[in-house]
Amino acid sequence: MNVLKLILQHRRLSAGLAIAVVTAALLQVTNTNPAVSQTLALTAYEAPSDPGVDPEAGIWKDISGVNVPLSAQAGSYVAGGSVKMVKAQALHFDGKLFVRVSWADATDDSSTTKVQDFADAVALEFPQSATAAVPSICMGQADSAVNIWQWRADSNNGVRDPNVAYTNALVDMYPSTEALFYTARAANNPFAQLDRGAVQSLYSKAFGELHTLDFQEVQGLGTRTGDGWAVVFERKFDTGRAGHALFAPSTNMDMAFAVWDGSQDERNGKKAVSQFVNLSIAAAPAVTGGGDQTRTIIFAAGLGIGLVLIGGGLAIYGYRENGD
Amino acid sequence: MPDVYNWQLGRNMDYRFETGKQQRQFAAVFNINRCIACQTCTMACKSTWTFSPGQELMWWNNVETKPYGGYPQHWDTKILDLQEQANPGKQTWDPNKKDAKSAPYGTFEGKTIFETADGVNQMATGYIPSEEEWKAPNIFEDAATKYSKEGVSLPEHSGWFFYLQRICNHCTYPACVAACPRNAAYKREEDGIVLIDQNRCRGYRKCVEACPYKKSMYRPSTRTSEKCIGCYPRVEGSDPLTHGLPMETRCMTACIGKIRLQGLVKVGADGQWLEDRQNPLYYLVHVAKIALPLYPQFGTQPNVYYIPPRWVPRNYLEQMFGPGVQSAIDAYTNPSRETLAVLQLFRATQEIVFSYKVEPGPKTMELTVAGQKRELFNDTVVGYDSNGKEIVRVSVDEPLIERPDRFTLNTI
Repeated sequence: MNVLKLILQHRRLSAGLAIAVVTAALLQVTNTNPAVSQTLALTAYEAPSDPGVDPEAGIWKDISGVNVPLSAQAGSYVAGGSVKMVKAQALHFDGKLFVRVSWADATDDSSTTKVQDFADAVALEFPQSATAAVPSICMGQADSAVNIWQWRADSNNGVRDPNVAYTNALVDMYPSTEALFYTARAANNPFAQLDRGAVQSLYSKAFGELHTLDFQEVQGLGTRTGDGWAVVFERKFDTGRAGHALFAPSTNMDMAFAVWDGSQDERNGKKAVSQFVNLSIAAAPAVTGGGDQTRTIIFAAGLGIGLVLIGGGLAIYGYRENGD
Repeated sequence: MPDVYNWQLGRNMDYRFETGKQQRQFAAVFNINRCIACQTCTMACKSTWTFSPGQELMWWNNVETKPYGGYPQHWDTKILDLQEQANPGKQTWDPNKKDAKSAPYGTFEGKTIFETADGVNQMATGYIPSEEEWKAPNIFEDAATKYSKEGVSLPEHSGWFFYLQRICNHCTYPACVAACPRNAAYKREEDGIVLIDQNRCRGYRKCVEACPYKKSMYRPSTRTSEKCIGCYPRVEGSDPLTHGLPMETRCMTACIGKIRLQGLVKVGADGQWLEDRQNPLYYLVHVAKIALPLYPQFGTQPNVYYIPPRWVPRNYLEQMFGPGVQSAIDAYTNPSRETLAVLQLFRATQEIVFSYKVEPGPKTMELTVAGQKRELFNDTVVGYDSNGKEIVRVSVDEPLIERPDRFTLNTI
């Protein structure tokens, strides 16, 4: 009875506490972490053996990662944002960086045979040069470009002619099938070439200025998981070429993520993006065997506790103000 | 966003790019009244440009049967519907706000596809037709609106259909160019032909979505979009047949119905056609005003002009070609001596006619057309190339040649 009386007397205190508790609970239950991705850190420890590009390789089950929240890109216009979160893991081995990205996506959009079909995709973005200013996360800037590695589900499958995709298609004849008659291929459009693998390494200095690098050094492979995609990117720390992001043990690097959901017509700027995450390449070996302890839970729990404290503080402030 | 002038709408409008650098504009006049939908143009284009894997559903030139047909299906009614939804009840013209040169059809008071779009997520209102909608280049061929037991007669047939010949309009304000986030689609300064840079395109299909005429097409085998290239090597004069002189496109020159005339017109800094009285296209569009743009209300200022079919209900035609329909039909039904002469230039030569002259001939006939007394003269039209050299000479009366009743050779 006394508690009820206290609540009724100090409604602001009660409301503040209730909001704080509910917010913390929601963050905990939904596993979301809206504001802390700038401070997220992803560490690439040294792997005990070559992890390869297979996203199903056992080692990825044993190491922890981070859940990186994504939101609709808002750099040039607000669009996309179908995928809310990616899980990122990283390793290095023998002078090569491996990044595994996985996310939930119910539809498998790995064909772009039809005009209305867009492919699922994921991209990693790094500053092209460690010495330049931190680039704009939105496709870089004039004095500080970004190196982008994009994996696409249709490239993963291999580009096919429609008469191959449609096995029952009736074709009278194709008089000429040399590359010249695939105009974009003949025009050296890297995007239209065959057998270029699932990943393209690109650079950008501004919106609309995305270019493919002359040398493609990034390997990658994606597989469908139970509820989405898992993709592994692999590249040498140092390609020895200008324009390719440079990695080294015991260094840190900014890194951002973007994901496209093809079934939501996402392509180009219509995508989900993260803030910069701090990728740290540790000289130490990966601690394996402890299972995957993805750190967002800890972050969310910490954030929840923090919000409870803030809410409590505000409530007490309100109580005192009310008391005055 | 720059403010540009669209003379087909009789007013200014917003467009992503400035005008002013272009020197000439690719333009054509199609006479719907003469088309028999033989699809020779379609096959001329197909067998020149789009016969390879991934281009199976790609018809840069097609002839469709209106009102039911369309390639892709229902492309025009879908855009009209999107526009109507965006600006309900207000997609109207004021035909009285008129100026002979700057607003010849009146003023469009509705919104263009650029004005109904938000200009951020979408540069132009549009949609991507599905693969199924691209599968039939002339679906509902020859399907009339109804069967009239009592027959039909002019001025408007009660049961009707007509053929609409379509290529890329090489618009003055192309929606594909406005929509491309990579500026892969562009408009050439030398002749206004709109192209997609096949090296830059990354297949986002924003152009497919934005082009109201649906003449940007996706090619899955290269994952890029392609479009009608206005046979630019021929227009540039690199075909050996014309020895370096500009030549009309494949679809134009293949036309057995002689419905097509294509050329290059002079353009001023504001993107408008410069006065060029003796250019046959300028004459047909700006002087005789018998050829009208296709769906001018979309706002792209298309550069293929149509002589509207005389037998079709005017409200349908006005939706398609704007308020200039009745006067265009009148001018075509009772053509002036000059118009009749210029119409003889259609398909008289493969070379582009840059100017013409009419040499008067004798009166050959008196007759009555639609209640009006007419006189026919056997005038001769002479066409000149870009250097002013005579390339063609045609008379209004087709010469009658009487063969002898006995041949020296066994000819047919």
